[in-house]
Amino acid sequence: MSFMQPSPVKYACSCGILNPINKLFFCRHCPKLRCGFCVTHEIESHFCSNCLENIPSTEARHKKNCCANCFDCPCCQHTLSARASTVPVVRKTEEAKDTKDGGDSKGDATPPVPASSKPSAVPTTKKMYYLSCLSCRWTTRDVGIPDQGVATGTWPDNECLYQARFNALVEYFQAVVLQEKQEKMEFMRRKAPKQHKFPSLTDRTGLTVSLIRRQIGWNDKVPKAKAVITPAEATADVEGLPANIFTEPLNLRNVTTITQRHSQPADQPTAVGSLYPQRRSLWIKRSLRCRQCEHNLIKPEYHPTSIKYRIQLFASYHVPEVVMVRCEQPLLPGKSNAILLKLTNPTMYDMTIRLLTAAPPEDPQLSTEANRVMKDEPISSSPLLKAVGITLSRQNSTREVKREVVDLSNAEIVPLESEFVLSQRDDSKEFDEYVQLPTEEPKFIVWRKGHKVLLRLQFTPAEELPASTDVVLGFYMQYTYVNTVTNASEKKEPTTHALHSRVFITAGAIEPKAN
Amino acid sequence: MAPENRIKILPKAVVCEESNLRGDITFSSGCVVHPSATVIADAGPVIIGENCIIEEYATIAHRLEPGAVWDVNNILSIGTHNVFEVGCQVEASRIGDKNVFESKCFVGRGVTISSGCVVGAGIKIHTSQLLPENTIVYGEQGLQREAIDKQGSQTLQIDFLRKVLPNYHHLRKPNYDPKKARSVV
Repeated sequence: MSFMQPSPVKYACSCGILNPINKLFFCRHCPKLRCGFCVTHEIESHFCSNCLENIPSTEARHKKNCCANCFDCPCCQHTLSARASTVPVVRKTEEAKDTKDGGDSKGDATPPVPASSKPSAVPTTKKMYYLSCLSCRWTTRDVGIPDQGVATGTWPDNECLYQARFNALVEYFQAVVLQEKQEKMEFMRRKAPKQHKFPSLTDRTGLTVSLIRRQIGWNDKVPKAKAVITPAEATADVEGLPANIFTEPLNLRNVTTITQRHSQPADQPTAVGSLYPQRRSLWIKRSLRCRQCEHNLIKPEYHPTSIKYRIQLFASYHVPEVVMVRCEQPLLPGKSNAILLKLTNPTMYDMTIRLLTAAPPEDPQLSTEANRVMKDEPISSSPLLKAVGITLSRQNSTREVKREVVDLSNAEIVPLESEFVLSQRDDSKEFDEYVQLPTEEPKFIVWRKGHKVLLRLQFTPAEELPASTDVVLGFYMQYTYVNTVTNASEKKEPTTHALHSRVFITAGAIEPKAN
Repeated sequence: MAPENRIKILPKAVVCEESNLRGDITFSSGCVVHPSATVIADAGPVIIGENCIIEEYATIAHRLEPGAVWDVNNILSIGTHNVFEVGCQVEASRIGDKNVFESKCFVGRGVTISSGCVVGAGIKIHTSQLLPENTIVYGEQGLQREAIDKQGSQTLQIDFLRKVLPNYHHLRKPNYDPKKARSVV
């Protein structure tokens, strides 16, 4: 229904941002809704999207996050593909042995004995490779890169003009960082003297290493890292434009586009003749982690060819989905109306759902448990981190700040008179013949089938709404959620929580007045 | 007044019977015309040079301008070694040699294609213009660039098609032999 267009139904994430359900995650341990803004994003693995080769992160850093084998077209940023061409190689008999020794790439080259027995020249063919773009037909031959005997690995890197300068700067700043780190450690050490098992004389006398050194007469410190860079100098002397720029017509085909220049940031060529194939940037697989409880929400499978997940806590697997079906009448300000909503239960347990206009009281059991967790493990509950003994100084362990969701609703809804049960999801039931059981249903339920319910919610758009403004309904959806994992290990049976999330529905625009 | 269909097929051209041909069309030797390719010669004769490939659903149209009538001298001449890929629609006023019209491209009326050009897949050229030699039109924005390298030749593909197409399709018989000049019409 809302394919390729913004969904009219939005859920408020626990951080206060509105999102459609398919962009939300559900942390089973908290248990709360999370969105992309309130989870930590971690790099799981690097891979090349073209050759699907998995590259370890250290190697990726070493290779500047680029694939070793794949290239992008400098002209249109498409992937280049290697094409083979057969080149006739005329070899003289004397040369035949030399080339054989000199590493002829072809394994099936004629052995030297018949070659030498043959007369003057032996025409053989050799496969040579060049890179070509299937989109814009750019080839490496266009810029004069010689064809290679092997398809991958031997393509030359175009060294940029400032490479030496770059390297010097990188080296310098690495040294600076190292020095700063050392100074900081020194400072910390001096501030809080480490308690040794055995009291040291220098500690007691207040002598430090540097003091001793000074007393002996050595120089104070280990020599500092030399700062050996020449700072860049701004100059006012700029070469004038060449005279012919005003006289000769500009051939736009020889000038690179902005995109082409940006894709080659090291030299940013202005002429198409100096476009060189660019190594393809690596892609990453991301894993997402809840900032509060440090549990993984999304963890993809490691292998690049797999698109599956090892952990996937998407909200649409845990939270009842609300779909707007339609409004019963055209939307008019101050005129009571009704909206049809379809609710779907994605879980394996029955859910009891209430739609409320005000926030329900906190689930006492949940809140106490949460408090207990907070007390026990103020920073981390992740077993791995505890085992390692890292006291988390990472940025992700922030205490959750409750943020109020701005009430966007501009319509008065009539709360449902009673709660109702959304039965569990059962895939086998989909194929059963459906028998309508004569059950007593609340009045607002239009129909019910399996784990889906269509219900009718009455509302009144606000009086003062001008024409063509969107009517937004807001309500609290309280649902029972059966949690199969718990933080406490002694409890084995699943616990039931009454959770709630705020849902906002953009019902449509106010109709223009009839007259 | 448009004449009857007068289709000249020179020897060694492979023209499938299921192709849609209308008007006065000449296929030089070595041409390959796939089934359901369309060639329309409403405004004047169409002469297709040697070793051209016209693939499925490709349309080459020489249409009448509004108010114009059939004119024998208004010839749409298409050079040699051109490739019209699947689903392209070409109404250009003149086409040189060794051009490639990629899939689903559209070349409107009044466009003159010189030689060695490539019109990329899905590219639409409406305004009348002259594409200089070795122009490549590519990408979403229809950027142009000049190829330095020559486009690969299509001889292998033509040889293959010439071998394969007769196995599965009825062919139109070559009906014109320049060696027996003017004996057959």
